[in-house]
Amino acid sequence: MTGKNMIKRLLALLLLASIGAMFASLLLAYVPDTDLNFTARYYAEHTAADIGAANIVTAIIVTYRGLDTLGEVTVLFLASGIVGLVLSFGRKQNTTLRNLVPVGELLTTASQYLAPIIMLLGVYVFVNGHLTPGGGFQGGAIIASGMLLLLLSDPLKRFSHTLIATVESFSGVGYIALGLVGLVLAGGFLDSRILPNGVLGELISAGAIPLIYSLIGLKVGAEFSSMLTSLSETEDL
Amino acid sequence: MVSALYILIAALGAAFFLGFLKDGMRATAYALTLAALVFMNFISAGWVWVFVVDGAAPVEILTSGFPPPFAINLRMGLTEAALTLLVNLSGLLSALYLKDVLLALGRRSMAVLLIAVMALCGIILTRDIFNLFVFFELAAIATAGLILLSEDKRALSAGFKYMIVAQAISVLLLIGIIFSYHATGTLNIDGMAEASTELKTGASIAFFLMFIAVVAELKPFPANGWALDIYESAHPAFSAIFSAASGAAFLFAADKLLHIGGAAWFPLATGIGIVTFVAANLLALPQTNDRRLLGYSSIAQTGLVLAVLGQQDILGDRYLFVAGGLLFAHSIAKAGLYWLSGLIAGRELPDWAALRSRPLLIFAFVTFIAMLSGLPPFPGFYAKWELARLLAGEGRIALLALILFGALLEAGYLFRWFGYIIKREQPAQRVACTPHKLAPVIAAVVAGWALGYLWGDLSGHANLLLAVPLLFALSFLLLEWLPAWIKNTLAIAGMVAFFVLTYAEYDPLRLIFSVIILIGGPIIFLASYHEHGRRIGFYPAAMLMYAGLTLLIRANDSFGFFAAWEMLTVGSYFLILRGKHSEPHALSYIIFSLGGAFMILAGFALAAQGAPQFDLASLSLLTQPLAPWVFILLALGFMTKTAAIGLHIWLPGAHGEAETDVSPMVSGILLKAGLFGLIVLLMTMGKQQLYGIELTHVLLWIGALSALLGNLMAIFEEDAKRLLAYSSIGQMGYAVFGLALMNHLGWLMALMFVINHYIYKSMLFLSAGGVAKRTGTRDMYRMGGLITLMPLSFIATLIGIIAVSGVPPLSGFGGRWIFYNAILSSDVRLPMVILFFAGPIAFLYLFRLIHTIFLGQLKDEHRKLKEAPFWIILPQMIFVVLLLVFAVAPGLALRRVDTYLNQFFPEGGLNWAGTTISSNYGYWNPVAIMITVCVIFGSLFAWLLFVNRKAQKVKQFNIVFAGERPYRPETTHFAWNFFAPYRKALGFMVQPFVTRFWSGLTDLLHAAADLSRRLYNGNGQTYAFHFIAFVVVVYFLWTGV
Amino acid sequence: MVYIAMATGFLLILIGFYGALTNRNLLRMIVAFSIADTGINLVIISVGYLPGRTAPILDTTVTAAAAAARIIDPVPQALVLTAIVIGVGVTALMLAYTLKLYEKKRTLDIAKFTELKW
Repeated sequence: MTGKNMIKRLLALLLLASIGAMFASLLLAYVPDTDLNFTARYYAEHTAADIGAANIVTAIIVTYRGLDTLGEVTVLFLASGIVGLVLSFGRKQNTTLRNLVPVGELLTTASQYLAPIIMLLGVYVFVNGHLTPGGGFQGGAIIASGMLLLLLSDPLKRFSHTLIATVESFSGVGYIALGLVGLVLAGGFLDSRILPNGVLGELISAGAIPLIYSLIGLKVGAEFSSMLTSLSETEDL
Repeated sequence: MVSALYILIAALGAAFFLGFLKDGMRATAYALTLAALVFMNFISAGWVWVFVVDGAAPVEILTSGFPPPFAINLRMGLTEAALTLLVNLSGLLSALYLKDVLLALGRRSMAVLLIAVMALCGIILTRDIFNLFVFFELAAIATAGLILLSEDKRALSAGFKYMIVAQAISVLLLIGIIFSYHATGTLNIDGMAEASTELKTGASIAFFLMFIAVVAELKPFPANGWALDIYESAHPAFSAIFSAASGAAFLFAADKLLHIGGAAWFPLATGIGIVTFVAANLLALPQTNDRRLLGYSSIAQTGLVLAVLGQQDILGDRYLFVAGGLLFAHSIAKAGLYWLSGLIAGRELPDWAALRSRPLLIFAFVTFIAMLSGLPPFPGFYAKWELARLLAGEGRIALLALILFGALLEAGYLFRWFGYIIKREQPAQRVACTPHKLAPVIAAVVAGWALGYLWGDLSGHANLLLAVPLLFALSFLLLEWLPAWIKNTLAIAGMVAFFVLTYAEYDPLRLIFSVIILIGGPIIFLASYHEHGRRIGFYPAAMLMYAGLTLLIRANDSFGFFAAWEMLTVGSYFLILRGKHSEPHALSYIIFSLGGAFMILAGFALAAQGAPQFDLASLSLLTQPLAPWVFILLALGFMTKTAAIGLHIWLPGAHGEAETDVSPMVSGILLKAGLFGLIVLLMTMGKQQLYGIELTHVLLWIGALSALLGNLMAIFEEDAKRLLAYSSIGQMGYAVFGLALMNHLGWLMALMFVINHYIYKSMLFLSAGGVAKRTGTRDMYRMGGLITLMPLSFIATLIGIIAVSGVPPLSGFGGRWIFYNAILSSDVRLPMVILFFAGPIAFLYLFRLIHTIFLGQLKDEHRKLKEAPFWIILPQMIFVVLLLVFAVAPGLALRRVDTYLNQFFPEGGLNWAGTTISSNYGYWNPVAIMITVCVIFGSLFAWLLFVNRKAQKVKQFNIVFAGERPYRPETTHFAWNFFAPYRKALGFMVQPFVTRFWSGLTDLLHAAADLSRRLYNGNGQTYAFHFIAFVVVVYFLWTGV
Repeated sequence: MVYIAMATGFLLILIGFYGALTNRNLLRMIVAFSIADTGINLVIISVGYLPGRTAPILDTTVTAAAAAARIIDPVPQALVLTAIVIGVGVTALMLAYTLKLYEKKRTLDIAKFTELKW
């Protein structure tokens, strides 16, 4: 290790010790609540009646703090769009095919069977987001992992960009449209109470949450897939 | 009104919808993008209208149908409306500007742009702290994406550096948010503000982390290397958004956090802000890359607004006026400059000389730098004035001083840049102007002027854009297409007409100044008929100066006075810059002048003690311990204009290098502004003591030394116009001395100097200029014997030097006579002796004007010269007549002033009986003197003619060389380094100590800046270090305090 | 329990920062930030934790009426999801940038990308 490097490390340690000291005082001053604060209490007491979602976290994500979630979805949309932009940044039109190490029989075969099941699981997860742990983001990620598996088993596979973009746009525009319906028919933008609340704990319940979460799931799945395909299509380095 | 939510919905909807469009339909996608942006602008503008015109109350916007804190809410108030309009407009205009790039990169780039604009609006609108974080991240990611619109391949690494820092920022922000949530039980900003007893203490780490993270997005010094790299490499249209819109949005976010944290955190904002402001402006000094320079300036301006955010406790209901004025001036100007930079091919500052082929773009540039420097009539000017007033009222002098220092640095590099544009060689590559790139620039110019009008309306003072003289000056911008002679006639007519309409309003003292400005100005303008063509840029500048001068003498309160002062400063700067070699001199002129102006600003602010209106007359009510400090600040400010010794180094170059008709304007007329200021100051404040020192006594010394050294420097000058310029330093010294005597006769003498100096200095500058025009040089030793070729110029010069030297019979003698009377009635001896010495020294240089230029041997190359052009001679002849009239009847001008002065100095007035003027010490009869001198001179002249009637003309080749006949003409008239013996004896006194001092100071600043900017070594990891170190150091300083 | 989780979270953040400050390799810096992100997420959810309570999902054991007394704070749980998603987006973006930077200079050393400075 050179002297300069040494100094750098020491300096980093020194600075981080100071940051650590700040963290430590946060930690030492931290007293866990014994009772829910008034925001959380409101959610605990009113979610069932207001929204009809069994999963309170989902109610918060999709309805109460729906604008955050729209922002999140947008972050992914933005990230996938920029990944596409970055990778096309100064790209040479070089179409030589890559010679890759053949993927094993095991992976190829397994992915053929597994990918549909994984995708199905993803759909299940986001459709049931208002009932069980999980939801659009988790489901979307699971769908994308199915795509990843397919890409791993056949790196030269090309997914239709148009299809992905259409799903991306359809779910995005649909999400906003549902939000607007909330603005017109219910209490405000992204209000999920445009459909009846139904019976707590049933699949068709919690107003428009399953619908919104499904769109989010599709959107997230499409964004991740778009990023994965963009990355996989880059030239070998 | 359409709900503000639709701003977000429109942007997102369009961005998502773009995906439906096939890649080939880029034009449609672009149209959709523009349509969405137009719609967003429509909403913001509508809300601005509702709040401004209807005075509506702010609107809370709920989402998802639940009230805060359970759901996220947005707010639309006047501030939000104005800021979102700023963001949306810069987004729309940049989108227009980016047409080619967006069409080339496709729909994804358009979506990113839309989301960037949306995210910034979200930051402004949201009232939920975590939602703020989400919009923050969106803005950060979109920023990283938009950097790639640049063709500059280095943008990629700049984007990566930004993401490194952004990651570290978001970590701290999240920790801060979650612990603040734990402390308050809410994520709503207003809820937190109410519940946050713990966060308000100033010791809360949770709040500190949130706040420092938001502040880090404002690019505080020194954790801002990443931002500079972005500014340098990104597409200028994106930099426009990044500087104008992002800056505004993040500043508003900081304001929201301060709302939570409360007053305990204000000093932190101010501290970080002001350090950033000064440091960034300092580091900008050695910059040569235009976009990086603008980046430094952006960072500085953002820092200034941050500092203002921290002063909201004392700004009260003027908070929005001040912060908004600074912010909008910065945003519009910076966006405009970045858009302009996209039209310039080269990246070095002198490459901007390409703008010279487009006067409209020069006007745009001037508008932008005037906005950034806080010059009237732009919002930043009003904001700066209010800020200074309130800061001084609360005694926050150190902060005010730092702000003014930083502003001076900024004005320094901006005006230096302007000098490059006007004076440097135009690069081969012309300005690339396409309508969609020009439109945003024009829009920014229009917005700047419109806001100037608006801020003037809101200022509580007279709206400067409604002042007739200023409007008249500005109207010349629209008349630029006319030939110069028409504009000249208009200018003369306008000034004379204004005088005729208003002369009854002035007291005798102001009347003298108004005659000099409004009648004296047109006389000099006669010389301008000599110029042909359109003379672009001359008339707006000259008329701006005259407008400033006129408004100065008409001002009643400190605001009007200061605004006029800045106008005349800027106008005269543009005039001076027109000279062929005046780039460095104009720069030092504007820096000294603005430095002086800032002292005046500080002086007035201090004097007002927070009062919104401050009449000039109220200066007399000031008491110890404030009064002497106000006196010093104001006096120093005024003396930068009179070029008192020590503050004089700008004058010789500025006056000497100026155009022929500009030199008399800036010397004969402009210098009087400083004297007028001193008169107002002394008339109201009188004698002031500081630590037992009589301040007028100090002024006496300054006046005496200026007179002595100015004259001394003049005698060693070879350049005729510079000689006259140095002589002005001396003459102004006399006037300052007279005023500082603080007695009746001293003042009368000073006023006599005001009139005399206008007449003879204008006349001498014109004749020197006329001669220089014909001979092609200003070096006197290259001339000689011009008396026969240019007799009228000779007569003007002769009369002029007789008047200057103060010998009978001309009015200079009257000045001397009053002066001797004045010092007899005063008890200051030593400076008086110095002043006596200065008198004969004046003879030395005046003698050279005649001897070296007009007498002696004619240079061979000058044999065919003609008299100076008619239009340059004409005003000189008018001045000759004026001098003679004033010499015979000084009472015409002085008698009423003498009476007027009685109310200030009842004792020691003059007695005006018939043609005789008498004082306690003797009498002076100008008519008798004139007759006596004329008779003596006439009889001697007659006798000379008589004895010489048979004289024979002798040429050089005849007998001059006695037995030795030269074969070619040789110079026998040696005039170079004429006073070499005196230089040997007195040279030590004219060593350029002062010049060395000031240039040493600027060199030091430059060297310090050049050294410290190496801090930004370009390594993204180092920037991460900077950020962490910034957090740690600020934390320890803060908690240590 | 809460303190352990929170302390671990803080430690992860510090480790991540240390890694980001001392590794010059772009990929390692990204990994370091991912570690820091994980730390953040851990801190966030530990703030919402109330000892002895259960997840904020209503079912037969946690009825709507009794929820307020039985569940932990659901807000941080919602927030952490957002934080995770944003972290993923930023990481993807940084990876894409890294790819392009590598393509340009064939190196992953951050000290080599200093053509913009001063």
